Amino acid sequence: MKNRLRELRAERQWSQGELAEKLGVSRQTINAIETEKYDPSLPLAFKIGLLFKQPIERIFAPEA
Amino acid sequence: MKDSSLHEQDAEQPDSNAVKRALRSFKLNIWLAVTTAVYGATLFGVRLHPDWSPWLKITLALTPILPGLLYLRNGLQLLRGLDELQRRIQLEAWLFAALGTVVVGTIINVFNVHGLGGNRLAHGLEVGGTYLTMFMLWCVGVTIANCRYR
Repeated sequence: MKNRLRELRAERQWSQGELAEKLGVSRQTINAIETEKYDPSLPLAFKIGLLFKQPIERIFAPEA
Repeated sequence: MKDSSLHEQDAEQPDSNAVKRALRSFKLNIWLAVTTAVYGATLFGVRLHPDWSPWLKITLALTPILPGLLYLRNGLQLLRGLDELQRRIQLEAWLFAALGTVVVGTIINVFNVHGLGGNRLAHGLEVGGTYLTMFMLWCVGVTIANCRYR
């Protein structure tokens, strides 16, 4: 699944560690999501959407 | 004034709960360590005194079930407290270890049936060998999963 997490994080100038702390997950999880090696659970995806104030479908998109 | 003290109390609540939980967990771990040590000592007792009654021997043999269940509970609590990616890594590693142990055990049994197994593995993996194989495969599984999600 494609995502804009790295882009959104860069806009706010947050490090992976800072974002991980805000979401209550490990830095490894953030890295794995950004590199598209891991798809987050639905609750975590909603948390990300809430944090960036955007609907999930604008952050995550299925592979074409 | 009242409101601010209420907020202070709210802010203190999670910390004190975490401390209480950590203390409870620490006490439990100490108790488990003591139980395990006492059990180890009684095993020597059973060997040195074969004249002990069978009921006492049975009770001693079943003693590890209680700390075993508590260890399992502790493990599950630890798994629940993990971050979702770490939980996935652990589950993948455990599955790899469990299936790998079944495969290794089956291979050894097939060798034994055909008379190819050595004297050491004449009775299959046995309990110690099963745990050791599982632990080694779990280490391999965790390493592989960590590399995949790095």
